[in-house]
Amino acid sequence: MRDSGRLGPLLVAPALLMVLALFVYPLGYSLVTAFEAKGGGFTFGNFAKAFEFYSVDIGFTLVIVGLSTLLIALASIAIGGYLTLGENPRAVALLRWLYRWPLFIPFVVAAQCMRSFLAKNGLMNNTFVALGILEVDQTTGFLDWRGIVITFVWKQTPFVALLVAGAMASLDRSTIEAARNLGATRLRILFEILVPQVMPTLVVGLILSFVTMMSVLSVPLMISGESPTMMTVDMAFRINNYGDYGTANALGFISYLMTAACAWFYLKRSIR
Amino acid sequence: MTWIGRGIVFGLLAFIVLGPLANLVLWAAAEQWYFPHKLPVSYGTKFWEQVFKPRGDALASLMTSIWIALSTVAACLALAIPAGYALARLKLPWRTAILLAFLMPQAFPSLAVYINIARIFYDFKLNGTMFGVILVHTVHGLVFAVWITAAAFAAVDRDLELAARNLGGSALRTFLTVSLPLAAPGIMASAIFVFLESLDEFTGTFFVGVPDVITLPLLMFTASIAGNYQIAAITALVLLVPSVAFMLVIERFLKADVLSKVGA
Amino acid sequence: MKTKVALLAFAAALAATPAIAQKINLNVVTAGDQNMVDYVKDFLAPQFEKNNPNATVKAVGTGPGDAGSQKIAEKLQAQKSQSAWDVDVAVIHQKMAGDLVREGLLAPYVRDVSTGRLVTSEASKNALGTNVTGYVIPMFQSQTAIAWNPTLVKAPPKNYDELAAWAKANPRKFGYNGIKGGMSGVAFVVGWVYANTPDSDRLMKGPYDAATKANWDGALGKLKEFNRTVVITPGNAGTLDMLNRGEIAMGPVWVDMFYTWMADGKLPPNMRLQLIGPGMPGQPMYYVIPAKAANMAAAKKFVEMATSPQVQAEGIVKKFNWYPGIDAQHVKAQLDDKTWNKLFVDVTPQELAAKGKTFPIKPYFDDILESYERKVLN
Repeated sequence: MRDSGRLGPLLVAPALLMVLALFVYPLGYSLVTAFEAKGGGFTFGNFAKAFEFYSVDIGFTLVIVGLSTLLIALASIAIGGYLTLGENPRAVALLRWLYRWPLFIPFVVAAQCMRSFLAKNGLMNNTFVALGILEVDQTTGFLDWRGIVITFVWKQTPFVALLVAGAMASLDRSTIEAARNLGATRLRILFEILVPQVMPTLVVGLILSFVTMMSVLSVPLMISGESPTMMTVDMAFRINNYGDYGTANALGFISYLMTAACAWFYLKRSIR
Repeated sequence: MTWIGRGIVFGLLAFIVLGPLANLVLWAAAEQWYFPHKLPVSYGTKFWEQVFKPRGDALASLMTSIWIALSTVAACLALAIPAGYALARLKLPWRTAILLAFLMPQAFPSLAVYINIARIFYDFKLNGTMFGVILVHTVHGLVFAVWITAAAFAAVDRDLELAARNLGGSALRTFLTVSLPLAAPGIMASAIFVFLESLDEFTGTFFVGVPDVITLPLLMFTASIAGNYQIAAITALVLLVPSVAFMLVIERFLKADVLSKVGA
Repeated sequence: MKTKVALLAFAAALAATPAIAQKINLNVVTAGDQNMVDYVKDFLAPQFEKNNPNATVKAVGTGPGDAGSQKIAEKLQAQKSQSAWDVDVAVIHQKMAGDLVREGLLAPYVRDVSTGRLVTSEASKNALGTNVTGYVIPMFQSQTAIAWNPTLVKAPPKNYDELAAWAKANPRKFGYNGIKGGMSGVAFVVGWVYANTPDSDRLMKGPYDAATKANWDGALGKLKEFNRTVVITPGNAGTLDMLNRGEIAMGPVWVDMFYTWMADGKLPPNMRLQLIGPGMPGQPMYYVIPAKAANMAAAKKFVEMATSPQVQAEGIVKKFNWYPGIDAQHVKAQLDDKTWNKLFVDVTPQELAAKGKTFPIKPYFDDILESYERKVLN
């Protein structure tokens, strides 16, 4: 097959240009504007303002997304583990059908579901009250940063679980069989044999989830009233109310740093 | 584990997974629901009529959303099929760099980028236009489209292509009659994926489209913020139908060998 | 040659057709909650289209609070250099109106509409310290007050100090939306500052002194304390929603939204309002016409219709429970006593006169909001 070597780049060019023009360029714009003063010129003033106004939210974003990622990791390992090691075929099939539902629910819709589900007198608390687990005045609303965590975990776990379960399914079963024969419990097999082998896939899924959660605006906007909330809400507030691109982009820059730090941390851990 | 133990765990899991969705369905069917009632006070279709009335916003937003999504799919496929084929089959300088470039939109929190796209679009008079929103959705969808399409083409058996060339077919003819049809299921899957991503997209449209282009997610958001839970729930259900349909059909298109080549 | 002449004749004929027979798309862009958009779409548009069969009204909402008005300002600024703009009539908040008049983006249309002489209020001349005479007609006057649930609250507090004490004794039973979700929370915060600083008149009338904000540390510190005992709701509607579900017992609301929700069955009918001392702010929203609106004549007709006493009576007062934008006596004459008085059930005209405040002048307003973010949220 004669390949002139010119056709390849030509075919890739339009798509590449699209990404460069509509993502990489605005990204660069964002990075530069973060350091731009109102009248032009280089400054750290935007960052100073961002920290002065939003240091609590910056901290909380890290807490919210970090906690969510941890919970997602645990839940995905549990689900993947059960799908691979589960003994009862009916239970496994049921789990496989059940866990995927939130996967195709967009964040906006998930936020709407949770808005009234997690309220003080929402469906969740009402069910608990009806089942006798809680009294009416003991119910608490989760419509704050905890609701954000719950929504993120609910929505992202199926995605990571799908990746993890797929990776676990393609592993060589002989190691698992050998361990069973030697009398290992399933929990031990999960953590000492399965998880180490699917670690790369798990890490990729978690990093993708981390980035996704850092980008979401609808969930914190609809679930949490005000502070502490995620940086995305503050960025939208700065833009929509004041047209303050400097501070908003400074916050964006901080979010890039957080993502990069997290990715570096995860990758370092998994490539031990 | 006994079935009682399993029952409790699965019951809890079902509550966690399906509870919020059930809540949505309840609100969609409710006409009045206030404290201290645990279930809607009265059910009815009053709000369905309100949502779908001819002069209403919902139908217009639905049409807007579908139109944008279809245009996005068309644009994405037009860009991704050649790019995917090139990545799978042809010589490319800086192949890794190009792959990484396509990964960028997934690697950076995109909110700040959207804010700046909106600002740049202002200068080009693209802000608040359908075309602007389609552009934003296309870039967002290109990531999936290119990666899945490349994987789909890579999964096509090279021998079949070689055989066609040996029989005298030109490169283009081979592509059209052998590679493309064989990669079609994967390409279809990526098309459906892009369609869904565009239909459900919120953040980008929030900055680039408002107030002139109102898609269904934006309408749902506005209804929710205004406390119109019934309307929000109904619009949410309308949004969910394509997603759930896709979920039930996905097995057919995304075969294991295609998925395994993603990222190769 | 013949085709050319024919074409020219055709073009001339077209141009000679009177403008009024052409189809007009009137773009009305309004900031504020959904009820504002509904007002234009379901009430004003059908009336206008009936009287002007060649016109179609397109209503677009840009969202609540200053963000909505900011969006409209951005739209006008982006089109500055063009000859005809795509916004014909806009409804905006006071803060943005001042800015837009100073930037020369609005048309001084009031002298060209007959209803201009029906409005003499301070609000029609002064928008938070900027002279806007001739550029705006108030669409309505709104007021915030504390909504309270008689089944959960025995005696409502009469002023901010009593409210703070009540909130401390009843944690998480008071809710407001902070400053990000809507203006009812912003109004509450402004009222708090008025109540806890000595010179609230200067905040409302000026002159501006940048050093003043240092005096607010005490008030903001108390507000931070207060916030620990209350619920932050997700917006104007969020507060009403939580009141409805009995999750909070008191919260600041817009009087008109309160009555509208009650009429829609979204709020229990026994809820009451209390205007607490020393006062809570209210604001008008303004009808403005951009300087280069594409359909200037139709836009003026629209505003004229919307500010006529009949429409103000039927629409603003009766249907949507706002206080009228034009002078009250013109509107009162159009309504029966019962309808007029329903606006004043819990908040009497005397209370309104004494405790209904305006928002501070713009530089102070910005200072209050920034200080809140700096000192209370952080």
